Amino acid sequence: MNPKRCAACKYLRRRCPKDCIFSPYFPPNDPQKFAWIHRIYGAGNVSKMLQQLPDQTRAEAAESLCFEAKCRVDDPVYGCVGIIHFLQTQIQQTQNQLAKTQAEIAVAQTKLSQTHNSDFM
Amino acid sequence: MSSSGNPSSSSGGGGGPCGACKFLRRKCVAGCIFAPYFDSEQGAAHFAAVHKVFGASNVSKLLHHVPEHKRPDAVVSICFEAQARLRDPIYGCVSHIVSLQQQVVSLQTELSYLQAHLATLELPQPQPPQVPVSSSGSLQALSITDLPTISPSVYDLSSIFEPVMSSTWAMQQQPRPSDHLFGVPSSSSMGGGGELQALAREFIHGGQMPAQPSPGTSGSASSVIKRE
Repeated sequence: MNPKRCAACKYLRRRCPKDCIFSPYFPPNDPQKFAWIHRIYGAGNVSKMLQQLPDQTRAEAAESLCFEAKCRVDDPVYGCVGIIHFLQTQIQQTQNQLAKTQAEIAVAQTKLSQTHNSDFM
Repeated sequence: MSSSGNPSSSSGGGGGPCGACKFLRRKCVAGCIFAPYFDSEQGAAHFAAVHKVFGASNVSKLLHHVPEHKRPDAVVSICFEAQARLRDPIYGCVSHIVSLQQQVVSLQTELSYLQAHLATLELPQPQPPQVPVSSSGSLQALSITDLPTISPSVYDLSSIFEPVMSSTWAMQQQPRPSDHLFGVPSSSSMGGGGELQALAREFIHGGQMPAQPSPGTSGSASSVIKRE
């Protein structure tokens, strides 16, 4: 048994076995992460998800789950989809600005070439 | 997915179980929290994804904490996240967020470059040089090299903004974000799955998250999120 329980087992008030699926990713010094995960996904679901993944990818999966859980706690209606929507709006606005700037460049280049032509007439 | 939000759209005890209760193989009671949002046809398939990722009881608790008029949007976003997670069990929605952030950065870099270029074009032009006159009095033919040029250092911006070319290329390799959020590409389909995963790792650990928009009008996300 792991003498120091991981954050998950502390939260769940249970013994932390040596092969605890959560312990590598939820150290005892950061209890908040698991609290978010448990609130949104539930310990059982997260355990199943992690077990289905290869060892080397579990850390990233745990982090991304924490991120999404935190987003959902902060915004229960949209979660991280709100961020996606925000970024898509930013992309649209920047594309509009790009198109506008490209048009302005075309106008400026036309004026410049007309100025050069008239200088040599 | 039927997300009309109309309580009578799916039965809570009337015309058969809702999609959620059908999937859970339980009696669909009057006032079932899922009934308005998961019809008995396609709703069951959508609910399957939601249940696998979040669990029915967690979703039920989530929905109970959300005001009723916001629940359709909440259900749509939960379904979206569930499907993204099933499609990409490691990064879920995060890979999509990273991809969009990359696009924002490269577009903004491109915009800065073009704005700088525009600024140089709008600078007042120096006076043209005196036209050289030959001994015969006729004008000598001018070549393009005789024209006044702006200092080459200005045009050297391309070296400063070199990442623009590579990022623009990178952007071209990735699918454009669709208006329909359910069209989330898997991380492997985004050019260079390994590179994207590395970026996703940086994103997660760096915590660089754009400020979440205030929900604003209730229709703002639902107008983007396609409802099936």
